[in-house]
Amino acid sequence: MKPGVIDIAESVRTGRVAATQVTAQALERIEARNPGLHAFLHVADAEAMAQARAVDGKRARGEALGPLAGVPVAIKDAICTRGLPTTAGSKILAGYVPPYDATVIERLRAADAVVVGKTNMDEFAMGSSNENSAFGPARNPWDTARTPGGSSGGSAAAVAARLAPCALGSDTGGSVRQPASLTGTIGIKPTYGRVPRYGLIAFASSLDQISPLATDVRGAARVLSVIAGHDPRDSTSLDVPVDDFEAACGRSVKGLRIGVPEEYFGEGLDEEVGTRVQAAIAYLKAEGCVVRPVTLPHTRFAVAAYYVLATAEASSNLARFDGVRYGLRIDPDSELRAMYGATRDAGFGAEVKRRILLGTFVLSAGYYDAYYLKAQRVRTLVRRDFEAAFRDVDVICSPTSPTPAFRLGEKADDPLAMYLSDVYTLPASLAGVPAMSVPCGATAAGLPVGLQIVARPLDEATMLAVAAACEVAFPCASPP
Amino acid sequence: MPARIDVHHVAKLASLTLTDAEVQRFGEDLQTIVAYVAQLDELDTADVPPTAHVQLDRLPLRDDVVKPGLSHEDAVAQAPAVEAGGFAVPKFVE
Repeated sequence: MKPGVIDIAESVRTGRVAATQVTAQALERIEARNPGLHAFLHVADAEAMAQARAVDGKRARGEALGPLAGVPVAIKDAICTRGLPTTAGSKILAGYVPPYDATVIERLRAADAVVVGKTNMDEFAMGSSNENSAFGPARNPWDTARTPGGSSGGSAAAVAARLAPCALGSDTGGSVRQPASLTGTIGIKPTYGRVPRYGLIAFASSLDQISPLATDVRGAARVLSVIAGHDPRDSTSLDVPVDDFEAACGRSVKGLRIGVPEEYFGEGLDEEVGTRVQAAIAYLKAEGCVVRPVTLPHTRFAVAAYYVLATAEASSNLARFDGVRYGLRIDPDSELRAMYGATRDAGFGAEVKRRILLGTFVLSAGYYDAYYLKAQRVRTLVRRDFEAAFRDVDVICSPTSPTPAFRLGEKADDPLAMYLSDVYTLPASLAGVPAMSVPCGATAAGLPVGLQIVARPLDEATMLAVAAACEVAFPCASPP
Repeated sequence: MPARIDVHHVAKLASLTLTDAEVQRFGEDLQTIVAYVAQLDELDTADVPPTAHVQLDRLPLRDDVVKPGLSHEDAVAQAPAVEAGGFAVPKFVE
């Protein structure tokens, strides 16, 4: 068991270990393991060591160190990092080096964390298996023939293999929770608006949320407390106080009401996954929680509504990739429209094109009301499901993913089957409520299973209390 | 539900130049996905307001004050083509 976020930060703060030593060890481990896992697209050796030296320098001068002192952090390649390549897993951004840091990166650096590299992802965060990365998929450390999930699969693989104790991903429809589930790590999607998105390459702006992953609940909570909070550069960023998420991990769960939605345990759920999740809920009951059934009747419509709304927003967001200000340009005959078309055809992969086309179609004249507006109305029904359920319970527990990690290639040719693998994570995304995945054991074949915990808007604290209680029985295991 | 999605038209709207094979493949994929999405019609949503965004009522606006931003040099540093300090594009007017 490698040390977690809090162990490292406290050891560096008290001088038991130098940040340079921690960073050098992390970089060595990345060098040894990354060729087999392809978790990182870019390793920031020199920059990481420089940052670590700066942290050690501060300590030597007697300055106070931040809450993530010397902690190696892996960053999803959709998050802009000044001076470090940022591709969003796409050929259209190959070689792009942002001139600024995302707000979350500024905050990590201010907290004395060390950015060790940029992690692999499905192109523009569109995918559930990492197979849509233009640079080849990341692999699951539990079985390298299997997916680590997506789209933040590289971040999850890096954390699961202990290449870094924590990472940032982004979660639009489950892109942090599902990889966390498939790799046996902690993944937290905060309330929509909790964490500023300035510097996150946009996929679907009404859903995207930067989300931490870690090897333990308290570590993930600490990272969340560093990156959360209002930023005037993101108009969707909420101006609300940041709770003490770490303290919440120590709260008693006795008497908390857990809702179990029947819609999440039906057709399509792997039997072993269902059994593991039910066992975790039984454990929480034994710890004093009150377990009761709830109903989220519009669950089965969430996939259809999501794929209309997310692709519509993506088709608009990705219009900026036009070969003019950054990224690839293909200019066959020096004519503007032809340059746009050729650049985008060469730069985008198949799934990105598919979603841009779908999104453009549902927004096009004659179809807007039937598809886009209809999906927005259904989104309201999904939100109301959660509002009604949360009148009776404090959190909702379910499987995070209907199956454990599947084989690379298994669903690659069937877009609809791939979309359906997000069936349990999409509803919370549409509703904007916080949700996280924690490990709850493994299948007979040794693949991790994740429990999803969903809470009321801005009530990450209660969610974390339940997660921390669960962790006592089901800690993150290390892959062989 | 449309009889047939006109992929050429949609691709043009999206500024995507597709190969014939892509038009064929994406046409089939889109048709399958749109057929799946048609299940939303089972729901009567006539009286349900649309959700564009979950928290529009709470979105704060920042003060309209000029602050330092990217330097001119940084702003054009990643452009595929730069002329006279600006983004250079192919000709688009005669």
